Amino acid sequence: MLNIGNEKVRLCEGLTRRSFLTAGTAAAGALTLPTFFRFQEAGAADAKKAKIRNCITLFLVGSPGQLDTWDMKPDAPAEVRGKFKPTKTNVTGIQICEHFPLMARMMDKVVLIRSLHHKTGATHENGQRWMMTGHDFNPDSMKPHIGSVVSRVFGARGDLPANVILPGPIGNTGAGPLHGQTAAHLGSAHEPFFLNADPASRNFKVGDLEVPSGESQSRLDARKRLLEQVDELQKFNEARAVGEHDAAYQRAFRLLTSPEAKRAFNLDEETGKMRDRYGRNTFGQSCLMARRLIEAGVRFVTVNHFDTVFGLSCWDMHADGGGLNNTYYDYERFLCPQFDWAFSALVSDLADRGMLEETVIAVFTEFGRTPRLNGRGGRDHYPAAWTNFFAGANFKGGQVIGATDKIGSRPIDTPIEPPQMLASLYHGMGINLDTTMMPGPGDRPVRLVEAEPIPQLFK
Amino acid sequence: MEQKFDATPKAELRLRGRTVTRSDVANDWGLQLRWVVKRDGKVIATAPARADAAYEHSDTTPGKYEIELEMFKYVNYAKDPAGEYTQSKFVVISNTVTYTI
Repeated sequence: MLNIGNEKVRLCEGLTRRSFLTAGTAAAGALTLPTFFRFQEAGAADAKKAKIRNCITLFLVGSPGQLDTWDMKPDAPAEVRGKFKPTKTNVTGIQICEHFPLMARMMDKVVLIRSLHHKTGATHENGQRWMMTGHDFNPDSMKPHIGSVVSRVFGARGDLPANVILPGPIGNTGAGPLHGQTAAHLGSAHEPFFLNADPASRNFKVGDLEVPSGESQSRLDARKRLLEQVDELQKFNEARAVGEHDAAYQRAFRLLTSPEAKRAFNLDEETGKMRDRYGRNTFGQSCLMARRLIEAGVRFVTVNHFDTVFGLSCWDMHADGGGLNNTYYDYERFLCPQFDWAFSALVSDLADRGMLEETVIAVFTEFGRTPRLNGRGGRDHYPAAWTNFFAGANFKGGQVIGATDKIGSRPIDTPIEPPQMLASLYHGMGINLDTTMMPGPGDRPVRLVEAEPIPQLFK
Repeated sequence: MEQKFDATPKAELRLRGRTVTRSDVANDWGLQLRWVVKRDGKVIATAPARADAAYEHSDTTPGKYEIELEMFKYVNYAKDPAGEYTQSKFVVISNTVTYTI
């Protein structure tokens, strides 16, 4: 158990009823406020000048331990350094875990940030909200997902939504339903589009893109015209909120009828070799789809590596012998190889297509894991230090920003907090953080994130 | 959502001298891939096979050597008290090549 404010919240095992009710009510209230769309955007963004045109975020739900992956401490005591050994990379002086041999060969394209930390509770949800919104949890003022902000600022290119999350939303990770993957006050038109299907499945189809059986295209068109007439009537009485609803409806219809959109989601257009290159599994095929979507015009794609931490193999390595029984075996045989294979395929595929120069891949997690192994050989939640990284666009690869102490327990050089990561992405995408505002408490315009970009990141 | 692993991975091994070379893996699950070396029917070594397509086992003790490629097959995350998988396991995904020293 831990406290968020004066609320008792369980870690991983579940959620108190009172927390759930409080959070749920707050979220519902946030969506009905009438002043969501008062953005102050004059001169706020210029996509043409931006070095980063697209972003793919790989979100590792559960969170790998920094000492077992990208911030190894081979000289630390055994109960700290863990089971794995470091391996050299193609950048002199940078070592990572031996179970990322393919990533090690492309370290010149990767910038590791080894001094990430946050100062709030060690729940998965806190970390998710920090890394996806750039803000701490505030039930009175939910903040939008970074992709929704990008959608709001730049809009969609073509018939595809600007912000897509694959393969589906984050579900139960123990301490509440608020994971930072909504548009919040930006409105339904900027909600992420969730695939809600498994692209690695043999019978994969994008449910939302299929015309329902028994519906012909002409009948669908007729229904759309009728709905438009009804909407026109409604617009006499309701103004802005209906406009946003209408935008979301139009988006859904475009997805349903657009050949371009259907093609973007159709992995059958890829060769078998290409599908193998990413890995024939949910994460790998989601990464491949992310590349297709970016190629087709989507600006921001998030791939959730797992949607829960309970009862399956994932990064949440408590080794508790029960429902959170991920161990070094999961890392060695499943998680590290799966990530290594898909990540290296994504980087090299984007590079092969000339897309890496304008696309950044962000690998984000919720927190780090305890420097000392617990009594069962696992590691527990630890937000005081962890490593995330970027590759691509005008981020300067082949470098490490920040450092932790001898046991990976705290930053000792260039401490970085989550809002700085998002500020860097916004800045790279051409969004002026001083002039792009969103509604804050009492409708006062506030900055997207209260942080500055990390200057060392950029070429 | 559990990760889905449809299809069955397969690779072909070829031997030149003592160096074994693998093809790309078709229907690759993307999980841990390893060389398994047996001498006179007993496993004597395993080695990572993901990063490189060729492998030469350094041991020259006389005997009949067999080399295969294995990939980890995730079935579910059930584990024993020591944290080892009980149902998920390595499976052979290639032909076997043999040589004698």
